[in-house]
Amino acid sequence: MNLKDLTIDSFHQGLKEKKFSATEITRAYLEEIKSQDKEIGAYLALRENSALEEASFVDEKIANKEEIDTLSGVPIALKDNMLIKGSVTTAGSKILETHIASYDAGVVTRLKNKHAVLLGKTNLDEFAMGSSTENSAFQKTKNPHDLERVPGGSSGGSAAAVAANMALGALGSDTGGSIREPAAFSGVVGMKPTYGTVSRSGLIAMASSLDQIGPFTKTVKDAALMYEGIRGHDSLDATSIKREYNDKPSEPDFSQIKDLTIGLPEEYFVGGLEKEVEMGLAETIKFYENAGFKIKKISLPHTRYALSCYYVIMPAEVSSNLSRLDGIRYARVPDAAKADRLLDIYLKDRGAGFGTEAKRRIILGAFVLSSGYYDAYYGKAQAVRSLITQDFTRAFDEVDVILSPVTPGPAFKLGEKTDDPLAMYLSDIFTIPVNLAGLPAISIPIKNAPKLPIGFQLIGKPFREADILGLGQYYEAY
Amino acid sequence: MSSPSITKETIKHLAKLSRIELTEAEEDRILKDLGNILKHFEELQSLDTKHIAPISSGMGRMNSFREDDACENTNQGGGVELFPEKEGGALKIPPVFE
Repeated sequence: MNLKDLTIDSFHQGLKEKKFSATEITRAYLEEIKSQDKEIGAYLALRENSALEEASFVDEKIANKEEIDTLSGVPIALKDNMLIKGSVTTAGSKILETHIASYDAGVVTRLKNKHAVLLGKTNLDEFAMGSSTENSAFQKTKNPHDLERVPGGSSGGSAAAVAANMALGALGSDTGGSIREPAAFSGVVGMKPTYGTVSRSGLIAMASSLDQIGPFTKTVKDAALMYEGIRGHDSLDATSIKREYNDKPSEPDFSQIKDLTIGLPEEYFVGGLEKEVEMGLAETIKFYENAGFKIKKISLPHTRYALSCYYVIMPAEVSSNLSRLDGIRYARVPDAAKADRLLDIYLKDRGAGFGTEAKRRIILGAFVLSSGYYDAYYGKAQAVRSLITQDFTRAFDEVDVILSPVTPGPAFKLGEKTDDPLAMYLSDIFTIPVNLAGLPAISIPIKNAPKLPIGFQLIGKPFREADILGLGQYYEAY
Repeated sequence: MSSPSITKETIKHLAKLSRIELTEAEEDRILKDLGNILKHFEELQSLDTKHIAPISSGMGRMNSFREDDACENTNQGGGVELFPEKEGGALKIPPVFE
């Protein structure tokens, strides 16, 4: 079975036409994981038995001529910050190494209701903090295109699983680019939906006002199919938007798509990008130009403040969210087993359980929220957040979709940490503003990338996933 | 407002607030990082936000309500299954005070 050519779309067709069974395909993916994952390290845990059970359930439904959902039988990997009831869920951290989830995440409930096949949990930077998956407490994940390079992060395991055909689709989470960046580095499609579109219930929270779950897939149409399958209001998530979704982004009307105006923000097309990204973006813009799309230069003047804004707000919310990890709830690390005082359980569990990056961000967050500094830092950042959001609102008066780079270059080498402040700035600046404004955005692999994968980003108006998915499917089709 | 002076004491205080036991080396490292990051944040002060209402979410916040009806708690006891010592339905912990 050639998994390379399989898509969610063609899998669903093939199931209905009885070209293969769900069990066959699930077995093929499990085989692929067995043969490749020792090298790549995408998975932290597998669910072989329940995966095969789910697949055979789908086969039975087909044999009984019952209707099946588009995602039925689809072998999917989940980032290990999403709870599956009864399974270990670690968030990539020692502090949750033995933690067994007591309920299903909202997206997991949806996928289970559709009888998707959940293959296993993928590796991530600890608590989704990082952009290379190197901050995982457990293992490194390698980029399937070059095993000496990172797959990106924090959803590196999910991106690598799809890139290496060890899953037909995967879910990740994106707080400041953690779906889009690994998608770009690993040569797959990765999308972050509009904030509030996909339930955050059962997603181990990093920054509650920024996190969103989204799909990794091989094609834009597949991303649309997964997005359609997981979106929707969840009463267990108070930030989940009550909304009727009537559109079908997986079936775009290209004649309508052609009318979309594409904006190029001048602040995003600056010096410092590596040659491959510059050339790749130029070719992509030319593609849309030649196809007759209207392209317009726009400005997002507060772009450069997005980094500071994000690095105040995100740690503040992190420090608040991670306070629940106290060695009382969920799990306790061995170092905190014996304690004379209650306080010592907290100090030792959190001291031994959290990695360096987590500690750094918790302390920073505590600082910006502390008395005497709250207004100057957190209050100020929230106001700047408004300015950044207004930039986009104004730009979307002139254009429908914004096109930009995702990263300043292709995947870097494992262990290669840059000290160059410009490079560090550029590595975050294209993705972060989108989360601050809550907009939908997608990273799509650039065709014919010379050596390593590169992505381009499409940012849409709130709830206009159909626009970015439509433009992306147009790019794939022609 | 320029960067406040962050000292080792600040870090120790924040670590205590955050209930994290830091090693000496970790304290030093975080002190240095915090100093660098706060310098970076000075740029936010240059923006005039006097007339801007702070927002906590790009999408605008709405209250999420439900009917005030009694409903079944479906996850009672969830999250403390691994707690090492229980007694009569309660979790047994070491003394809070010495």
